[in-house]
Amino acid sequence: MNGPVSEIILSAQDVAKRFDTQAGTLELFSNISLQIQRGETVAITGPSGAGKSTLLSLLAGLDLATEGSITIAGQATHQLDEKARAELRSRHISFVFQTFHLLPELNALENVILPLEIRGTTDAPDKARSWLQQVGLGERLDHHPAELSGGEQQRVAIARAFATEPDLLFADEPTGNLDEHTGEAIIEQLFQLNRDQNTTLVLITHDNHLAARCDRRLHLHNGELKERRTAGALHD
Amino acid sequence: MTNHSLLKLAWQQTLAANRLPIWRALLLALTVAISIATLLAVLGDRLEQSLGRQTAELLGADMTLRSGRPIDPAIAERARSLGLETSGVIQFPTMIEAGDNLLLISLRVVEAPYPLRGKIVTQPTLPHLPEPGTLWAEPSVLERLNLKVGDQIELGYTTFTVAAQLTSTPDRGNGFSTFSPQVIINRQDLTATKLLGVGSRARYRQLFAGEPQALKQLEARIRASMASDERLITLDNSNNNINSSALNNASRYLRLGALLTLLISALTIALSLRRYTLNSRDRAAVLLSLGMTARQLQILFLLQLLLAWVACALVGTGIALLLEQFALVLLSDLLPQPVPLAQPVFYGLGALLGLVSLITLGLPPMVAMSQVSVMYLFRRTAAPTTLGGRVLQLVAGVLLTGLLMLYLEDLQLTLILIGALLITAWVLGKFGAWLLRISAFALAGKHTLVRLLRLRIQQQQRWHRMQIPVISLLLALMAISLWARSDLMERWQNQLPDDAPNHFLINIQPHERDGVDQVLDNYQLNSSLYPMIRGRISALNGEPVATAFTPEQRQHNALNRELNLSWTSEMPGHNRLVAGRWSPQADGDTAYISVEQAFANTLGLKLGDTLSFTVGSFPVDGVITSVRAVQWESFQPNFYVIFTPGALDNMPMSYITSFHAEGEQRKVAAALLQRFPTITLIDIDQLLAQARSLIGKLSDTSGMVMLLTLLAGLILVFTTLSQELDQRRYENALLHTLGATPQQCRQLDLLEFALLGLVCGGLAAALGEIALWFIHQRLVLIEPVLHPSNWVLLPLTATALFTLTGLLARRRVDESNSYRLLRTLS
Repeated sequence: MNGPVSEIILSAQDVAKRFDTQAGTLELFSNISLQIQRGETVAITGPSGAGKSTLLSLLAGLDLATEGSITIAGQATHQLDEKARAELRSRHISFVFQTFHLLPELNALENVILPLEIRGTTDAPDKARSWLQQVGLGERLDHHPAELSGGEQQRVAIARAFATEPDLLFADEPTGNLDEHTGEAIIEQLFQLNRDQNTTLVLITHDNHLAARCDRRLHLHNGELKERRTAGALHD
Repeated sequence: MTNHSLLKLAWQQTLAANRLPIWRALLLALTVAISIATLLAVLGDRLEQSLGRQTAELLGADMTLRSGRPIDPAIAERARSLGLETSGVIQFPTMIEAGDNLLLISLRVVEAPYPLRGKIVTQPTLPHLPEPGTLWAEPSVLERLNLKVGDQIELGYTTFTVAAQLTSTPDRGNGFSTFSPQVIINRQDLTATKLLGVGSRARYRQLFAGEPQALKQLEARIRASMASDERLITLDNSNNNINSSALNNASRYLRLGALLTLLISALTIALSLRRYTLNSRDRAAVLLSLGMTARQLQILFLLQLLLAWVACALVGTGIALLLEQFALVLLSDLLPQPVPLAQPVFYGLGALLGLVSLITLGLPPMVAMSQVSVMYLFRRTAAPTTLGGRVLQLVAGVLLTGLLMLYLEDLQLTLILIGALLITAWVLGKFGAWLLRISAFALAGKHTLVRLLRLRIQQQQRWHRMQIPVISLLLALMAISLWARSDLMERWQNQLPDDAPNHFLINIQPHERDGVDQVLDNYQLNSSLYPMIRGRISALNGEPVATAFTPEQRQHNALNRELNLSWTSEMPGHNRLVAGRWSPQADGDTAYISVEQAFANTLGLKLGDTLSFTVGSFPVDGVITSVRAVQWESFQPNFYVIFTPGALDNMPMSYITSFHAEGEQRKVAAALLQRFPTITLIDIDQLLAQARSLIGKLSDTSGMVMLLTLLAGLILVFTTLSQELDQRRYENALLHTLGATPQQCRQLDLLEFALLGLVCGGLAAALGEIALWFIHQRLVLIEPVLHPSNWVLLPLTATALFTLTGLLARRRVDESNSYRLLRTLS
């Protein structure tokens, strides 16, 4: 996977996150450092409550670390204000959610057009149509989410995420609401698109099988992030 | 993102939101608020224009002098010399007869030129004034006497031909006579009818029109020598007749209703927006994750509000205009026709108020929502209420109060009302919630679900505190308005003894006295004729009125107009002696008088005081020897002052009496009018019927507003029930999985609603009794009674309302798959 020129798209250095609670300060994790290169697929696993979602929010620039620094596409998030971080996200990041989060009143095509229109892309409908064709929904452009199966909805969400051509794609349990067979197909498609687009994929999952397919697997437990070997890495 | 695509997204989002019950509640509340605000603004302006601000067209003149006595002809002369037009009008009640039907009318006697401003519209169209020997009558006269144009009517000693039907007319006069159907005759015919004699209840008006400068001069001249029972009506000074004061009271009542509706609607709008924005956090976070900025998000939701407003403004204004037409039909008899159109700005006032309320109430939750983080999609955390959010809410509250104050045009009253309502609501909420807890506690052990009910009551406490005051207040207001109306009319009538007089005879001339007595005897009617002389109090113990009485006492009606004086050797049977002794006769030159108790108390009159009167231009003195209690509502001739016989013998006088006629005896009316065409006979039943119709029409109009208020209240209850719907669904689903049957879950809801209904209904009944007690004791002056049916009907109504709205709110709950529900909701 590593090409001759490897580009670090996301890095974290000595990151800690603490919360003030009524019982005192709670430290979720500390001293977390990692580097993710463009095109890599990385799974973050860990038991419930370990802080996976919090780590994702820091890595995606949605929240700021209590200590340490996070750099996305060369920009240190702690040096940016909320507005600049929003711009950074808008330029480089997309999300795929467990519960799809499509807008119910928009049809498949309109759902994919929406982020393009928000960015002022001129040929939004054509692009959106082409993305939906790539995920196999070329025939169902004018169907509303309620008329699509769970798998189809997640495919629309994937098309929507890739349509803005992000550098980084964060996926939170993308198969959590799907049966095994559909989940498998969706993951296949996600990895395929990821390879085609040279996008960096950061997955949060409980699914060991899914995690094993990624290039790297980071396990968050007791406030520590440990790298585990994966089948994906073995393939290389 | 272009504006066009934002607008398109807002449109799609609005259409989608229209399927959500909470959004529908918002739309309904906004529509009701806009309807009521527009209705009140438009109707209020039209009523005000037609009554409050006298226009020359309605007054029939630029200036009118009103008096209880003939107006000095010198005034008319003076007006003419100033180049003004002037005309005299005499108006008095009288009974007219056609076949077997008798009708109490108000007769208006006019002379050319008339009217000086505006015009009389008749059917068929006739010029100027009724020709001598003819009369013009309002449609209700013709209808009730079964007459048509061309028929003949007896009026006094003259037979008139009905020449036309009056369609609209200015100068309907003032006082109660304006409610009576009217008939206009020419002044030239008056003497021949012989209707006008001493003691007739005629009101005189002199109308003036012309150059403002000349009018000013005349006004100054008249004011300089105006008697206390004369009133000068100009275009600037507002009138003060029963008609407008009844409408003013109605309008105040409408405003109270409207204020309540607007406050309730505002609360509903705020709550439904809160729920809607809370439910939309996911959407907001998704849009942010797709790259939308917080500002674009705010604009998007603001556009959605605007789209909702446009729809509600159109529908709400439409409804208001329909209701306004309906109200005008109801009130058509009471208003001079045609009713002027409202100023254009008033048609848009409701919509404007709706827009400002929506934006004011919508901004705080919208801003809060736009601050949601994409993180919300990964980890559900409630956004903390920021200080900015609280400040925004406070600003919204203040702005809204200010807006209502401006709208209702009475800053102090609005502030007091809002304050009083808030305090009452707070107390009711606290007390009601306590009652709920106590009742649930008392029920413990009676039903297996009561334990759960207690938990539910604990949990829903904050919504109960909002639901209880709103529903109790609304039900109380409705009960009060219904009871006050029927109590006033029916119980007042019921309190009269069965044989209370139902006919008044006035204007009986001395030479007719024996004849009238004889006719009454022929019909076995028992009645005494009392002489009546009009006189004015001039001094007390030799000291003139201006110094003998305090300024407050000088406000008393009795010192500002001519009193009806009488004499008799025997105290009237329906009076009661409370102090002194009854003097049957004068002691030489010293006349004795008996005074009425309340009148004596107010004016500080004591036994032994000498009260001086001016009758015509003659002075008469009397020494007070007794004080009487008088039942004013007994429909017997009653007098403030009764002399011993002799002192008033040679003064101009007439006789008055009242009697109770029933069945065949009622024919006495026709017999009396045939033999004595000039006496004035007043049928109390007809008078009451006219008053009842007036009150009925006003309260029907208020009823319309009350219905809108109730609707607003129901939407609020629905909204509050929807607020914690997820909580209820979760709880019911949990109970399912723990073995409860769907019936038991429904029973728990029903139990809660029944208890809520009982508490609200009970509080409403109690509030109603307190308010009605006050109204009876202080305003209507009848013996307060309890209204037991309220204590049954109001709790039942409240329970029904809660159950109905509760069922509506949880209509979409799918209880068949509790496990899935539990998973999604937890």
